[in-house]
Amino acid sequence: MKAKTLIIFVGLCLIASVALAATVKVITQEAVIRKDKRFFAPALVRAPFGTALQETGKEGDWFRVSYQGQEGWIHKSAIQEQKFQLSSLAGGQADEASRDEVALAGKGFNPEVEKAFRDKNPKMRYDLVNQVQAYRVDDQKLQAFIQAGRLQEPGGGK
Amino acid sequence: MKKGLFLIVSMLLCATLILTGCAEVVQMGTTVGQGMGKISKEDKEALDRTAKQTAKAVRPMTEQEEYYVGRAVAATILGQYRLYTNERLTTYVNTIGQALALASDRPYTFGGYHFAILDTQDPNALACPGGIIFITRGMLQKARNEEELAGILAHEVSHVNHRDGLASIQKSRWVEAVSILGTATAQKLGGAEMGKLVSLFEGSVDDVAKTLLVNGYSREQEVQADGSALTFLYRLGYNPYGLTDLLERTAREQTGGSNQGIFATHPGMNQRLTKTQSVLSQNRWPRKDDPARDRRFRELVG
Repeated sequence: MKAKTLIIFVGLCLIASVALAATVKVITQEAVIRKDKRFFAPALVRAPFGTALQETGKEGDWFRVSYQGQEGWIHKSAIQEQKFQLSSLAGGQADEASRDEVALAGKGFNPEVEKAFRDKNPKMRYDLVNQVQAYRVDDQKLQAFIQAGRLQEPGGGK
Repeated sequence: MKKGLFLIVSMLLCATLILTGCAEVVQMGTTVGQGMGKISKEDKEALDRTAKQTAKAVRPMTEQEEYYVGRAVAATILGQYRLYTNERLTTYVNTIGQALALASDRPYTFGGYHFAILDTQDPNALACPGGIIFITRGMLQKARNEEELAGILAHEVSHVNHRDGLASIQKSRWVEAVSILGTATAQKLGGAEMGKLVSLFEGSVDDVAKTLLVNGYSREQEVQADGSALTFLYRLGYNPYGLTDLLERTAREQTGGSNQGIFATHPGMNQRLTKTQSVLSQNRWPRKDDPARDRRFRELVG
């Protein structure tokens, strides 16, 4: 194989990998798309787990995305970049291509498994876990606390 | 294709695979190559095989799976310790913790970060996978100011960032779980498969809970958690010496002979102290206390 062919191969692979980045999927229970690329920027729209968002740009740790006619910013830790499905082009096996999809579709350790586990272990204090998970601090209070303590507003990991 | 060149191409394609995480991308390249008559059928098959084998390494747990393991671990801990429900104190701990989480490398997790106080004098702090973090009343009493309390919470946030809890799950359990899930593809799991999956989940939860409550993390994991904690504290504008001051006092107490609670589950205090002190001196981070923070700490924690 000639060097030129090799370059074509790697080039094709890289073009394909660029195409992979066109869509991102929400991997948190609910992700907030914000007006600006800051944690405390006003929320534009909320997207539930598994939602596919159109990626329109990227700056640092923030992705610019469009969803439900709104365009805003989402932090990288709330999303996963999507894998481009080439199996039909390359004749690959469907199960190989869909491994991540299976995981993202919620197969695995999921609510169904939790329910069966709870039935088996009725003494587990899930009631208290739910109580703890209801502890939330809203953006305004958090910002006020940061300012009052002369701390710095977090910028999203450096 | 010549042996040497084949090796180079294999390596390049593996690199592409690592970059894209997608065996199909490599397959497309080799299909085109074969179509153009540039590589033989045998070469194509060998390259595809390498790509698939590399991709077949067991997938990591997803955020959602981590969340459900974390909830079960938290349910186990809350079955052993009472939840302390002082609202003002809980809000104070949560506010510091949330701010630190946003300053961390993983600001968002599937279910977010939540901080709770356990009603025991045994000084300890525990991070469940996914972001539920416990601190005991005994540990709260060990902190002398907000910087030290932030130091403890930042250390636990680091364990969540590093997925240290999940790392304590026996590898074979996860491999088996993935294999069960793999056979079911997108279809519903059968009764026997579901039963097996629940047992594997149970075992995984047990592995994590044992590590948190009994065995503790490795010294290396602790040192790394301290390193990240210092960074998160610094990013948020806290005095990172809060963590070393606390470690220093704790190390002195440990020399005094205690090996219970925090000492059992957080080994190597002296080593951790030395490492954190060297990070601080290398970065020349200044000490900067703040009277407003001291005031609110005194008011709420005492």
